[in-house]
Amino acid sequence: MPPVIDKEKCNGCGICDLHCPLDVIYFDEKANLPVIKYPDECWHCGSCRLDCPTGAINIRFGPEMLFL
Amino acid sequence: MSQRIEDFGELIETDVLIVGGGLAGNNAAIGAAEKGVKVLIVDKGSIERCGAIAGGVDHFMAYLNTDAWDTREAYLEWVGKIARGAVNLSVQNAVFCRELNSAIERMERIGCTLKQPDGTYYRTSSLGQPGPYFINFNGKNLKPLLAREARRLGVRALEKFSFSGLLTEDGKVIGGVGFNIRSGKFYIIKAKATILATGNTNRIFENPSGLPFNTWQCPANTGAAQTMAFEVGAKLANMEFVRITVVPRGFSAAGLNALTGMGGKIINAVGEEFMFRYHPSGSKAPRYKLVEGVMREIYEGRGPVYVDCRHLSESELNHLKKTLGYDKDTLPDFIEQKGIDLGKDLLEIMASEGMQGGPSEVCSSGIMIDEKTASTIPGLFAAGDCADQMRCVHICTTGGYLSGKMAAEYAIALNVEAKINLSQIKQLKDKTFSPLRASGDVSQRKFEDTMRKMLWQNAGPYRNERSLNVAIEKLEELERYFKEIKAQNYHELMRVLETYQILQVAKMMCTASLARKETRFGVYHYRTDYPETKEDFEGQIILWKTDQGIKTEFKRLDYNRIPEP
Repeated sequence: MPPVIDKEKCNGCGICDLHCPLDVIYFDEKANLPVIKYPDECWHCGSCRLDCPTGAINIRFGPEMLFL
Repeated sequence: MSQRIEDFGELIETDVLIVGGGLAGNNAAIGAAEKGVKVLIVDKGSIERCGAIAGGVDHFMAYLNTDAWDTREAYLEWVGKIARGAVNLSVQNAVFCRELNSAIERMERIGCTLKQPDGTYYRTSSLGQPGPYFINFNGKNLKPLLAREARRLGVRALEKFSFSGLLTEDGKVIGGVGFNIRSGKFYIIKAKATILATGNTNRIFENPSGLPFNTWQCPANTGAAQTMAFEVGAKLANMEFVRITVVPRGFSAAGLNALTGMGGKIINAVGEEFMFRYHPSGSKAPRYKLVEGVMREIYEGRGPVYVDCRHLSESELNHLKKTLGYDKDTLPDFIEQKGIDLGKDLLEIMASEGMQGGPSEVCSSGIMIDEKTASTIPGLFAAGDCADQMRCVHICTTGGYLSGKMAAEYAIALNVEAKINLSQIKQLKDKTFSPLRASGDVSQRKFEDTMRKMLWQNAGPYRNERSLNVAIEKLEELERYFKEIKAQNYHELMRVLETYQILQVAKMMCTASLARKETRFGVYHYRTDYPETKEDFEGQIILWKTDQGIKTEFKRLDYNRIPEP
């Protein structure tokens, strides 16, 4: 499962979109929030969370990985 | 009216073009920029976070002259032993040994020290090393710090950029083309020297988790450099090897050597530290032996297989818990979300998906480079995991930097202005965008899944002459369907082009494997029809493109002599 964005904490800076190496996260200008557009292509590298200035990103693994 | 370059897209001129902004690409950018030339890096991601160590790294292999095992000579002797038949010692000496001191100094200078807060090195041994060559360090910010240094030196970066082909003139490389993966804007880059640094090839074999992007190394790395260098006639080497590692079950994450390096034991269902049956170093055996052991224990019914850290001291466990996320940022989350405490519980492990990469931590699969990191095509250099003699954090750092310096020197010495051929641009642009115009209904994901399953079956860790020929025939059949894969947008276009690259690498891999009529490095090149390792094959299979298809030749390498410093 891909990163989970905490909408309350997100400040709309767009760094997660810029730094995602797989082009998974798209910043939605209208909503002023990032959207996980290609969740199946997430590498779980943690770059988005590492560089999020407000700690608005959590990584949650799905059952398909936790209980294989 | 006659057409101009600008009619096809935006023209950018640079001295050194670097394709791939990962660890090697960023070090290359610094090396080139320090020579005072104009440098442009292009990458599908950002140069701050892209490539195999996007989210960090925790180990750097080095000799530090503290003991008999800790010297250049001892290191090269070990390299010649563990990678015999794939590693070229004189190139290793040039791309790693001669650059090691300056690399350690550079990492210190940019703010990513290899030392612990108390000023010492924390060194661990794993994967068959004669002593603790791995320096354990906090590399979580190595990439952004390198990118900051590159930008400080004036390096320009084009990000979210898919590079799609090299431009040539009279057999020389003079730059390349590509597009922005959000806007689709097309660029023509004219460069005096080009460095390819796009890593190894992932998503090529069936993923045991069923999730193709759940890969040990970066799934955006799909053999772009190997494919493009091949297409312009460069020679490639070590392409026959499969690479597999051992990972936590369900998550193909790096970081296992941190566990075994710290003393974690690999055990089977009955608690036996079974690796001693496969190798005298037990859980610290070379990676290909670990993979073979884990695969066989599970296949022969002695699984599940675990890594056991319960016997470690509290301080060792604390160091482990603190540093485990350095190599794979989200590995501690995975372990926690599984409800596992490494001090009390076992962590189940498995063999990872296969990838196409070199057979060891010291050399890779790809463009054959010389002591100056040059390919066999003028104007074309290679760095990092796409070069046959670089791999892992240590050589991507040292060799990447060297390639930057060498490409800059080549660019400075060049005294003729290249002329870009318009019909070549038109051809490359048409080929790049053709999946947007495709009318077929073949799904890219299904196409790739089929290719992965077929390759694992026929060209995976167990191969023979018949299975490899079957794989080549099926790849050729599959390729006929490639033009029916339709991309709906530029992101999908990037993925379809990646699929094409994986297919090309697969053909090279199978062809090279047919030429290596022996088994070497266990499951990394296991020919069931030639199960012995032969002295006759102590060298590389080299391949290149001809009008009649892929040609291969064998080149013997010398392991009797350690090169002069």
